[in-house]
Amino acid sequence: MGRRRTSPGGSRRERPIKSKPCVFCKENIAYVDYKDYNMLRKFVSDRGKIRARRVTGLCPQHQREAAMAIKRAREMALLPYVVGR
Amino acid sequence: MGSRKRPEEASTIDTYEVMLIVIPELDEEQVESTVGRFRTIIERTGGAVSDVNNWGRRKLAYEIGHRADGFYYVMEFTAGERTLPELKRILRVSDDILRHMIVKLPPTYAHQPLPEPAEISG
Repeated sequence: MGRRRTSPGGSRRERPIKSKPCVFCKENIAYVDYKDYNMLRKFVSDRGKIRARRVTGLCPQHQREAAMAIKRAREMALLPYVVGR
Repeated sequence: MGSRKRPEEASTIDTYEVMLIVIPELDEEQVESTVGRFRTIIERTGGAVSDVNNWGRRKLAYEIGHRADGFYYVMEFTAGERTLPELKRILRVSDDILRHMIVKLPPTYAHQPLPEPAEISG
């Protein structure tokens, strides 16, 4: 029909919506354990910083829990606060 | 840290977990006796230790008090009324403990629900 509602402004690129489920949700993990520091390594940068949600792809709840677990692991010297200074 | 309390969970006994880093200067035997000391504290105050996990001597991710490694121990336990404050107090004043952390485990996560409470000798 005459109406064109899809494809907004030509200059703005449309980003494909990522619908990748969060890894913890996918594996049905209820508790992110701070002792599993090798698994938590996936969520820190090579500098030791916690990766952003848009990088980790975690859901809000699990991102929060993973961040908490990383901080606990840091406190017990399982993960570094900073790498290579 | 976010403790969610639901009425049906209030009656069950909470399981806790303590992680210890013991100073590396001690030998295995002394480390065992150090950990045993905390075990008796838990049991004396009405708790029960369900699982002791020895991670052995590990390198620390960063230096603590000029030490590059330490003995890691993880204990799972249930707490009596006085267990937690007493355990925390003694952990804090113990010179042979580099770091410690007590975490409450979610009810679904605890490894063994402890079939019967360990008997207290004494």
